[in-house]
Amino acid sequence: MGKAIVITSGKGGVGKTTSTANIGTALALMGKRVCLMDLDIGLRNLDVVLGLENRIIYDIVDVANGRAKLPQALVKDKRFEDRLYLLPAAQTTDKTALNEDQVRDIVEELMPDFDYVLIDCPAGIEQGFLNAIAGADAAIIISTPEISAVRDADRVVGILEQHPLEEEPRLIINRIRPHMMQEGDVMDVDELTHHLGIELLGIVFDDDAVIATSNHGEPIVLNENNPVSKGYRNIARRLEGASVPLMKIEEQKPGFWSRMKLWFKRD
Amino acid sequence: MQAVLLKGNQDGYQLILNQSASFTEIIAELKRLFDKLAAEPSSLEAARLSFDVLTEDRILKSGEKKQIEDLAATYPKFSIHKISSNVMTVTDAYQLKERENVHLISRTIRNGQEVKLNGDILFLGTIHEGGKLITTGNIFSMGNIAGILHAGYPNSEEKLILGNIHNAQQVRVGEQFDVIDDEKIDDNDQVVAYVNDLHILAYGKLKELKQINPKLYNRIGGQ
Repeated sequence: MGKAIVITSGKGGVGKTTSTANIGTALALMGKRVCLMDLDIGLRNLDVVLGLENRIIYDIVDVANGRAKLPQALVKDKRFEDRLYLLPAAQTTDKTALNEDQVRDIVEELMPDFDYVLIDCPAGIEQGFLNAIAGADAAIIISTPEISAVRDADRVVGILEQHPLEEEPRLIINRIRPHMMQEGDVMDVDELTHHLGIELLGIVFDDDAVIATSNHGEPIVLNENNPVSKGYRNIARRLEGASVPLMKIEEQKPGFWSRMKLWFKRD
Repeated sequence: MQAVLLKGNQDGYQLILNQSASFTEIIAELKRLFDKLAAEPSSLEAARLSFDVLTEDRILKSGEKKQIEDLAATYPKFSIHKISSNVMTVTDAYQLKERENVHLISRTIRNGQEVKLNGDILFLGTIHEGGKLITTGNIFSMGNIAGILHAGYPNSEEKLILGNIHNAQQVRVGEQFDVIDDEKIDDNDQVVAYVNDLHILAYGKLKELKQINPKLYNRIGGQ
């Protein structure tokens, strides 16, 4: 029996979809069977980030309305043999096309076949959010060190306290720019975690490569040496119960050769 | 005035319902006619008689058609083969026009938009990733296709898609579909996507249309 985890934030653009794709991929790399469920109906992106956009035949609304069976709608990611699947969102309708019971039924149907069902929640706290948390056992809250994202994350934690899931929500701080944090321009990790009052699951740095790789439909986790990739791999290991120390937030000083390269790059 | 006229021709017997007679008159006269025919077995050699009914410039409601059919059914020897008319309703005419016409479409179909039509389409616009063009007929495309094309919706496999489809996400004909990622399709304006005898989507060239779909080829003036 698997575990359903909703990935949510309240605010848009903080990296819910990127995190869903990367945590899912990291878990699949660890040998787990993972289903990623996109609930951002009408503005789906998870398929694009995973490079599975072209392969969608049926979507979650088709399944909920009985136009397709669940296995027909699952899109397999060929890179991971039989371990990573996507249940795509519908694109031609909106969040109100589903209700909580339908989502709960679909998650329950997925659970026996997968170790993890990761639910990509849409931004906002309306019907789409309610649908996303309906079937979940646990929640991961994504926030960036920006104050607006923290406010929205706080709001979501509040809602989840009123409608508690089986497990307490955990926090990922995304898009950390080490030098800003070191200089005190943004809240640091401890401050943020303390402020929100939930357990910290991991931190992820900001890196241009995230955008570059997702433009190619490849989650950054596949690129082993990238610091963002390490962040997501650590998160996946912590989800599996391993105790992994947090990554250090230090501006990595460029070495001699990379500084040389920088000189030549300037025009 | 005669409300019902019985005529015989090569195809059999035809009942012509006078368009200026009232329907009650017609039913009454039909009954008289049937009674008379049934009483003269010698005049009818066939074991069973089936009539074509022509309603001239009048359209019968389904209830009225049923009344005529029921009346015929009371006689063991008679039945109604079909009821036809010289005219059609405006709605039917629109549907026919939509089905038989080639629709000229020049617009951008964006992500999440679905354009659904009946009949053949000549597409001159652009389909973005995530856009869908769906029709019951054929699709002839001269546009930029980066989304999904569906000809022969929902299940006619004799339809085809013609145009440059090498950038499309998916091509669907009837119930068959292909994810174009997996297929190597020429970057060519004259590619034909069709369902072959094995019920698999296949890709050919326009000059092979005669072999691919002889029916269409003949209709559009092939020799």
